[in-house]
Amino acid sequence: MFFHDLKYFILSQLKTKNLIFWLLLFPIALGCFFRIAFGEIYGNLTQTEPIPVAVVEEKDNPVFRSVLESMQGSKDRFLDPVDMDEATALDQLKNNTVEGILYINDKLRLTVAEDGLEETMLKKFVETYTLRETILTDAALMHPEKIEAAAAALSKDCHSVAAVSVTAENTNNFTQYFYNLIAMTALYGSLLGMQICFNNQANLSALGARKSCSPISKAVSLAADLTGAVLLQFLCMAVCVTFLVFVLKIDLGNRLPLVYLAACLGGLTGVSIGFFVGSVGTVGQRVRTGICNAVVLLLCFFSGLMVGNMKALVARFVPWLNEINPAAVISDSIYCLNLYSDYRRFGEKLAAMLLISLLFCILGIIMTRRKQYADI
Amino acid sequence: MENTVIKIENLVKRYGDLIALDHFSLAIREGEIFGLLGPNGSGKTTTINCMLSLLAFDKGSIEIFGQKMTPVNYDIKKQIGIIMQDVAVFNELTVYENIDYFCGLYITDKAERKRCVMEAVEFTGLGEFLKFYPKKLSGGLLRRLNIACGIAHKPRLIILDEPTIAVDPQSRNKILEGIQKLNRMGATIVYTSHYMEEVEQICTRVAIMDKGKKIAEGTKDELKRMIKNTETITVEVLGLSEAIRNEIVQLPHVYRTEYDGERLIVFCSGGTHNLIRVLDVFRTHEIRVGRVYSELPTLNDVFLEITGKELRDRKGDSHVLS
Amino acid sequence: MQIFKAFFKVLKKSIPSSLIYIIIFLSISLVFAFSGQEDKTVFEQTELIFCIFDQDDSAESRSLVSYIGKQHELVDLEQDEDILLDALYYERVNCILLIKSGYAKQLAEGNTENLFERYAMHAGYADILTEQLLDQYVASVSAYLAEGCLLPEAVQKAETALSVQADVTYADFEEDTEYPTVIFFFFQYLPYILISVLFNTLCPVLLTMNRNDIRFRTDCSGIRPASYLLWNSAGSVLFIIGIWLLFMGVGIFLYGGLYAGKAWIAVLNSFVFTLVSASWAILFSCFSPGENTINLITQVIGLGMSFFCGIFVEQSLLGSGVLAVARFLPAYWYVRINNMLSGNEPFRSENVLVFLLIETAFAVAAGMLALLIGKFRYRRLSAE
Repeated sequence: MFFHDLKYFILSQLKTKNLIFWLLLFPIALGCFFRIAFGEIYGNLTQTEPIPVAVVEEKDNPVFRSVLESMQGSKDRFLDPVDMDEATALDQLKNNTVEGILYINDKLRLTVAEDGLEETMLKKFVETYTLRETILTDAALMHPEKIEAAAAALSKDCHSVAAVSVTAENTNNFTQYFYNLIAMTALYGSLLGMQICFNNQANLSALGARKSCSPISKAVSLAADLTGAVLLQFLCMAVCVTFLVFVLKIDLGNRLPLVYLAACLGGLTGVSIGFFVGSVGTVGQRVRTGICNAVVLLLCFFSGLMVGNMKALVARFVPWLNEINPAAVISDSIYCLNLYSDYRRFGEKLAAMLLISLLFCILGIIMTRRKQYADI
Repeated sequence: MENTVIKIENLVKRYGDLIALDHFSLAIREGEIFGLLGPNGSGKTTTINCMLSLLAFDKGSIEIFGQKMTPVNYDIKKQIGIIMQDVAVFNELTVYENIDYFCGLYITDKAERKRCVMEAVEFTGLGEFLKFYPKKLSGGLLRRLNIACGIAHKPRLIILDEPTIAVDPQSRNKILEGIQKLNRMGATIVYTSHYMEEVEQICTRVAIMDKGKKIAEGTKDELKRMIKNTETITVEVLGLSEAIRNEIVQLPHVYRTEYDGERLIVFCSGGTHNLIRVLDVFRTHEIRVGRVYSELPTLNDVFLEITGKELRDRKGDSHVLS
Repeated sequence: MQIFKAFFKVLKKSIPSSLIYIIIFLSISLVFAFSGQEDKTVFEQTELIFCIFDQDDSAESRSLVSYIGKQHELVDLEQDEDILLDALYYERVNCILLIKSGYAKQLAEGNTENLFERYAMHAGYADILTEQLLDQYVASVSAYLAEGCLLPEAVQKAETALSVQADVTYADFEEDTEYPTVIFFFFQYLPYILISVLFNTLCPVLLTMNRNDIRFRTDCSGIRPASYLLWNSAGSVLFIIGIWLLFMGVGIFLYGGLYAGKAWIAVLNSFVFTLVSASWAILFSCFSPGENTINLITQVIGLGMSFFCGIFVEQSLLGSGVLAVARFLPAYWYVRINNMLSGNEPFRSENVLVFLLIETAFAVAAGMLALLIGKFRYRRLSAE
């Protein structure tokens, strides 16, 4: 009876073209959008471009002028200074054409429109110039014979910092969006999970009523339908990961079989959530579907699908949420595979997924077994 | 009671303040086609759902095949076939797949199941529609599919809850014939409806319900004997005077008349040749009449006399429950 | 009028599920709005977050740590590879700095190379700032050492010289007060919110009102199809305006009062986009999607458009090819207007008008397509 029920559950769901079709198409379509949209972003973000700055000469300062001229033409220059009058400069600052206005006088002044990294670096540039001026003035006053040595020390390339890259793996943090896409696809398995309840509960459909009158025990019926839903969701997840890795060429690390495992377990989690939502309360199908979809969206939102640094914000202010949010757990499991050399963290995430799935399945079964209704 | 298949004692079911079943008791014997008749909202479907342990009830007891009915009494469930008011099939599976699926919940042996499925298909006349999907079937065929799914496993007890709603007359007749055939093959049938013609046609015993109570129970003849009216004579006549009406009322066994200007209805209790005596009055006074017909009482008359309203209330009654 | 009433009765039935979406997306829109930066009138330099491991543990190294701590945030982390990786990946720290053993000794000898190790994950301006900060510090100390000072005195004098702040002023462009950052972000994410809410709430109602059997039965009555369409549309319009007003009310709450100046352009922009979202929802409902799949498809359209058009990721970061395609989506023009209002792009009123008209054209096109498809499908069904 278990296999009989399983066979027909899978058959009926496969023939529900709408659901399976969109569960398969959803990650493909969104994956393509992400791939196209993010194609050049990482490069744009991590390359450092010269900062455009307006220069307004209030008073002649040949020393500073020579510093500016030495920058022009250099490939690794950090500023792009352009001379103009104050009105033009303010206009360009307002329109974000330049990041700041340098006023050349006895003492340098800087005007900016907002605070950001570029503005801070402009400030640093002005401070560096001022600093050198101060030190050399000090030297001229106290030890004029050592002024050249001091100047040489100041202009020497110190190379005091050795940069160490922490990982050879993919650190493009836009890949995080793809991890979240996998998580969202997994959680949409909840629609399949709810279908189990619609087919088995007398208060949700006539089909459920008929099945409740049959001699198949609830346990067997639910186990068969859950198995069917999970197998179907495994298929959807496999298609999702395969498409992302082999068609869109997204780098999900070099431990691909484990990525498939994580994605499939995520699918199990999604199905179990849907099963639980479908078995709780007395509201109708439409409201249940609404609740489930809204919950999935909310979980994915807090996992960072829409606002990229949301997970970081959550980690900072409500860290426990990332441990229990299924979307965060699923995306983190793939991130762990990508970034850490050992499997400890990955194992923890898999265990969390299994625990969440087990919890929701058990709760769902408790809600539905031996159920009689006050009203159907 | 010997060979009692279903025994319901003092069943009480409330939906909040509304009492859906009010100390309802029933006993259905093996081999009967038992009709549960009542208007919309009388509690028929509530009774069925309680019987099947789908609904929790507040008081009372239900036994089927001598055992207490519970949601996990699978031995009893194996012997019951249910045809619900709402069509309960998978829209995504074909006719054959639907029957096979539901039969498979009762019969595990593949070969036997296949045989049962094909017999059910033949029984319900769905042979040409095996590969059709439910969406493509007419209302009547869909109802037949619904029945096939409920009887394929050859249950001892078959419960049909208003199976002929929205069904064409041809399909309806087929369904009723089929039910009688199933009964002849040994099944006990519980049939709920608010169509008294169907109940009168096939049921051996009937219980009439209203507002959660059983108001009458017995064979059709027993029920009809419960009421005063034994014959209703209808005569089309125009311009009938009060004097003639009074003369007719004075006839033996006539206890009441009604006249709307075009038709005279004469209610008789007992006696024979009542029609002849009524027609004699018209002949004597040389009054011309149109159509004349005499009817024996129906279950509707029984219901009307007991409750003061029709089984199918033309004014529209409560549709909270059925 | 009956149809109009029926529309709202059907809507009333679907209010519980619609309300869930409205509340969820209202909450998300508020989070979006507050996730943006606060307005500043006084310049504050970008504060980096450092985690420093001092292997030298000398007076000089401690002095350096203290100096860095005056300008940037210092956090303590366990010296565990996993914890450090995590902190870098989630940008809880911008840089992990190791002051190598022998730092003070090497500095006193005038050797400035490889005194520190910097662990970073993502290259960017934070790296340059860090290197600049440390090189400048070390160079200043070296300069005072070259003048003949001893190391402790050189460190102290260098820190004094380094503490001189640049004269930085913040340009006060008056109009920015009309369009504060929180409102910018609120309106920035609004298209995604509107699409999600309208698709998930309007589509189920339209699916019910346009169900075949209901249409057939209505056509058998004395009501003309055009009248049916008109009353359905009236109901939809009223509902759409209600949703839009609800979100504008939230905007007023964020704005701290009634909108003023440029903010009204944002309001108009959002109204036009609401019409676009609604017309797309109506077009979408013409294809009779299953209820299960409405949300799935909504996310594809909503998220896809949001990423393509610069809602979740700034337009300046998107590639030129992507932006070329995005021009065929209404959200692109919506974001352009929003960027102009916030000053991220030069503001030109004629451009605003053109972009609004382009958005309106999307709404009109979708509406007409919906009418056409609806009619075609209905005729095909009637013929069957």
